[in-house]
Amino acid sequence: MRVFAASLAEMWFSARKRNRLSPDEATAELLLAGRHLGRHEPASQRTLELILAAAAGPATERELAGETAAVTAFLAALPEPEPARHRGPRRLPVLAVGFVLVALVALCGTAEAGALPAPLQRLAHQTINAPAPSPAMGVPQPGADVTPGPGATGSQSAPGSSGPSQESRTGKPSASPKPTHTSDSQGNGNGQPSASATATDTAQPTATDNGKGNGGTPGQGGSPSGHPTGNNGNGNGQN
Amino acid sequence: MLVGDFPEVLRRAAAGDASAFARLWRDTHPPLLRYLWVSAGDAAEDVAADVWLEVARRIGSFRGGEHEFRGWLFTMARRKMIDRHRYEARRPVSPTGNGELLDRPAADDTVAAALEYISTETALALIATLPRDQAEIIVLRVVVGLDASAVAQIVGKSPGAVRVAAHRGLRTLRERVADATVTSPGRGGVTL
Repeated sequence: MRVFAASLAEMWFSARKRNRLSPDEATAELLLAGRHLGRHEPASQRTLELILAAAAGPATERELAGETAAVTAFLAALPEPEPARHRGPRRLPVLAVGFVLVALVALCGTAEAGALPAPLQRLAHQTINAPAPSPAMGVPQPGADVTPGPGATGSQSAPGSSGPSQESRTGKPSASPKPTHTSDSQGNGNGQPSASATATDTAQPTATDNGKGNGGTPGQGGSPSGHPTGNNGNGNGQN
Repeated sequence: MLVGDFPEVLRRAAAGDASAFARLWRDTHPPLLRYLWVSAGDAAEDVAADVWLEVARRIGSFRGGEHEFRGWLFTMARRKMIDRHRYEARRPVSPTGNGELLDRPAADDTVAAALEYISTETALALIATLPRDQAEIIVLRVVVGLDASAVAQIVGKSPGAVRVAAHRGLRTLRERVADATVTSPGRGGVTL
């Protein structure tokens, strides 16, 4: 313990000795900092102070002679105006146009899928020939969703009968739409078309049919209505 | 030193204002040239021109105060000076005699001249007779006005090593001055 304390004291003294400047070193620090020495300093020290003061003296004409050339070189060496300064305003319209295009494409895709809300889908139907909105998408009419009975199934899409949207995609109506009054009146319930309904199969929509239920030529197949509406045309009498 | 005006001067210079750059140049070029006279000899003005070109290109990206700016500038100057020395070491050329400091006088003659009339150039010539690292450190501390820590960062040494080198250099200078006053009494000696 005693040895340890002695070594600590020795370290403290040696550190203090290291940090303490000798008179010469203290004077040197004053000279390096540009301080004035007192008159009691030796002449050699004061001469040294004079030399250092002269070295740090004011700028000479010769040193400042190149100012014009330096400024000219500065102006020539300046980097070009940063292109990034124009990048912002130029990039904005491009981004806006890109965003609008993406939004349009997404809107058209949704319209083609018939997934828009009814008013928008109707608008898309009128403007870009997208599928018409199905009644299920519209505002429910009073009594429209009552339990379907025989003859009331026309308002629902049966599996395999996708209604007008599918017709419009394939370009030809499915054979399932039948005159409503026939299936309704028969109501055989076996999914098979009745004989009279089969006869109405000949009343296919013409080539001009756009799947909107206006293609049937009245009277050709003896169909009473001649309008194979997809909404009620499945004729399979499900129940 | 520009002190309080420095941030505004720097901002305008970075924006391309020629008058602000000229002010910066007038304030910093003399100590830069003196540093390079001592450490690069006759290549001082060429190296200084390179340094200012580099400053012009990069001043927009500099951040800091006046001391940091000086540290940045003299670090750049030192690197260019070292590159120059390496280039000249690979391809030695015969001296052209353009620079006044190229043919450096002997230390005794310089001291004698310095004691008669101490001009800035004479004082620098006297400092330049010291070993290069000591002369460089003394100029950075006395002429440029940097402290030991800033000089240590520029020359790549510890602050303690910078202090030791500066003290040695000053001691050598003082001994030469003392010798000159003793050996050249006929030239007027020291008149203080």
